[in-house]
Amino acid sequence: MDELKLFAGLMLPWLVGMAVLVSGLRARVSLAAPGEFAWIAGAGYLVGAFLLTLWMRALSLAGVPFSVFAVGAPLLAATMAAGYYAWRRDGDTLPRAVLAALRAFAHPPGLEGTTRLAWRLLLAWLALRFIMLGFQVSWQPLYPWDAWIGWATKARVWYELGRIVPFAGADAWFAADGGAYFDAAPGYPPTVPLLQVWACIVLGRWDDALMNWPWWQIAAALAFAVYGALRALSMSALGALVTAFFVASLPLANVHVALAGYADLPMAAFYTCAVLALLRWAATRDARDAALVALLAVACTQIKNPGLAWALTLVPGVIVVLLPRLGLKLAVAGLGAMLFLLAVLAQTSTSILGYRLHLDFEPAWAPLRASYFLLGNWNLLWYGVFAAAFLAGRQLASQTLAPMTIIVTAGAVLLFVVVSLTNASAWVADQTTASRATLHFAPVAAVFAALAFRAFAVRWANARPTADAPGA
Amino acid sequence: MTNLAADKATGDAVAGNPPREALVVFVAALAVCVLGYLALAVPGPWFPSGSPKGWAARELTLARGAGALERGELIVAAHGGAGGALVTVETDFRSVDYRAIAWDAIDVPQKADVRLVWRSDYAPAKLNAIPIAVASGRLLPVLVSSDPNWVGRIRGLALAINGPLPQSVRIRGVVAKPLSAVDVGGDRVREWLAFEGFTGTSINGITGGADVQDLPLPVLMATAVALAALAWFGLARYLAGYLARTAALPAVLATLFVAAWLLLDARWMWDLARQTDVTARIYAGLGWRDKHLAAEDGPLFAFIENVRAKLPADPVRVFMNADAHYFRDRGAYHLYPHNVFFEPYMNTIPESSRLRSGDYFVVYQRRGVQFDPGAQRLRWDGGEPIAAELLLTAPGAALFRIR
Repeated sequence: MDELKLFAGLMLPWLVGMAVLVSGLRARVSLAAPGEFAWIAGAGYLVGAFLLTLWMRALSLAGVPFSVFAVGAPLLAATMAAGYYAWRRDGDTLPRAVLAALRAFAHPPGLEGTTRLAWRLLLAWLALRFIMLGFQVSWQPLYPWDAWIGWATKARVWYELGRIVPFAGADAWFAADGGAYFDAAPGYPPTVPLLQVWACIVLGRWDDALMNWPWWQIAAALAFAVYGALRALSMSALGALVTAFFVASLPLANVHVALAGYADLPMAAFYTCAVLALLRWAATRDARDAALVALLAVACTQIKNPGLAWALTLVPGVIVVLLPRLGLKLAVAGLGAMLFLLAVLAQTSTSILGYRLHLDFEPAWAPLRASYFLLGNWNLLWYGVFAAAFLAGRQLASQTLAPMTIIVTAGAVLLFVVVSLTNASAWVADQTTASRATLHFAPVAAVFAALAFRAFAVRWANARPTADAPGA
Repeated sequence: MTNLAADKATGDAVAGNPPREALVVFVAALAVCVLGYLALAVPGPWFPSGSPKGWAARELTLARGAGALERGELIVAAHGGAGGALVTVETDFRSVDYRAIAWDAIDVPQKADVRLVWRSDYAPAKLNAIPIAVASGRLLPVLVSSDPNWVGRIRGLALAINGPLPQSVRIRGVVAKPLSAVDVGGDRVREWLAFEGFTGTSINGITGGADVQDLPLPVLMATAVALAALAWFGLARYLAGYLARTAALPAVLATLFVAAWLLLDARWMWDLARQTDVTARIYAGLGWRDKHLAAEDGPLFAFIENVRAKLPADPVRVFMNADAHYFRDRGAYHLYPHNVFFEPYMNTIPESSRLRSGDYFVVYQRRGVQFDPGAQRLRWDGGEPIAAELLLTAPGAALFRIR
């Protein structure tokens, strides 16, 4: 019975988000279009999860105690309303499109023989991974350090009290005389703990193992979103699946599911989906896609405090989309100006998002090199990223790739600043921060590598027409 | 940019089977990389006559320092003196047959001065020594064949840990290795496939096998991919039909990269499967409370459950105190939704003047806290005493209510 309740509760945000995205589809876009259903399934979960937590915040603000009915019923009603609207708009084509999309997933068109076998083996390999991760999430009580000193502390209190209560630092806690709570990170945003609270609400009890299922959902949603977005960007089905597989098989991302409780994987998923939504918007220029970019960017700021910085890396991408000719130069100039500003600020001891800026330029190259290229965190991701960028060459600045290139550049600059110009550099040296900060960015880097490699492949194909048969 | 062009580029339009060719070249490149590595790593003949010779912990003697044999490990106790520890074993083998000595020890302090000591029948009165490097708490194998004193028959080996020892060291044995190509290759495979269970640091990064690896698997795979790509491209250029064959380069590169990624991922999945088995053995089938009792902080959880039974139903202010910040922070976590205060990173307790009547005070393995039952006064760290009532005691732990 517990499993059923939990399953129903966990599916609710998924359905909410999918219904919202389906009802907001452009009239000319079919759900059966390549990748559309997978994109809606992936981005839909993240949108639904974020809306769920916004609704819980609104309830708390209004003084309504959390309960299955108070949280779930309005969201279920919204789901049904959005679904009804989409059904009225699309009629019978909607269920047919869903079936066609599912059929295309099982039997992708255009794949025969070895490639179809590769497709199925990859899906089976992914399924096996998610089964094992599911067992881990179900069995393992909350384990990693920050999860129980700064994240789930809030989830426990808010679940038991049925509302959001403030957390404060030591001095403010003493001053509040019982009016505030204390933990090691009172400034963390509430989104992630609220997802845990919802799982406990539907379970009807506190359970710090089962409440972590959203991490499994986030990992699955991220894989769906990457596949769907790349298909919509005209990548072949196998190419999109391989890229989604790369993202889903990053060992450190898997660890963050198995030992759930940190906000780094949610940060990576929301940021990646925001970037993918931006690429869709770059292709369609539709206001609804732009709204999705904005929503996911705002969500980034509510996952972790550095989410604001990650969201800001989207800005140069937007500039490049809006001003294709001047945009790249403007964005590069802007990045340069920002670096200059950071260098000036670093003469002081300014704090930004909890990180103390100080010009103590001594990057911890050795731990970074070990994390990226020698240890088991990323499989071959960073080798692939550098190789793909090298192969793509000047095409990185092409109109189709430039937004992605500038976002990745901004993300890389951000990582560089964090690990070399702030007090975080000390944590890089002992490997506590470098890999987790990189996890935010790694799925985007994988997508970038896939797109850059495709640009190289297309250029190579165009330069070498294959009219000559081998041996001719 | 069209999908058709990309598909052409990934090989569909090229006759033959470039991805299959790529896989064949990849296997060959891997073999070349492994052989190249062995050529660099094996210090002498690839197939020497001797076989590895090992001595288990029970055969070792603790000649200096304190310690005991426990569960197949010789535990060398921590000490603060300068005398150090010396672990010895009687041996009798020809030095020429064995080129490396590997001590299997863990929890060795990173900055410890550790040396391999030996004597031979060539100069029985002379003790020879060579430093041993420490990495991630383990001792790296020592290559002894190049040392001029590694001659004759080796009559005894010893491990010397000089200076103070801040923590216990566990020694499982020592192995003399001929360092054949098979030994070196086997060591690398064992390093790659070593089980890396989840620990407190796994969330920050994983090693990908043993803590210390002479040849990280990602490096080998990346090198093999690069070599295979160059080899395939070179072959394609010199074979007939240059244009048509090299057109398949993107498909070949993609195949190589995916194949290498899958090999790395298979290693990770094998590790994950073993970890899932470990997790299942500890937690599968247990309820939430029983899981916590079975966890590594089970005794702390049990104590906090008793504390919670003594606390009022409505949240109250509770101060959680322990010397170890793991216990302090973890105890606080178990106490929520009570309004807990703890020092996350420092072992300090707020001054007694900051506590008020009705607060609760939990102590778990914390030195410096004193309670006078007659006067009903509690004090800590030499500060001002405060009126308090003892509600619960357990070995090394207590709960007080401030009055």
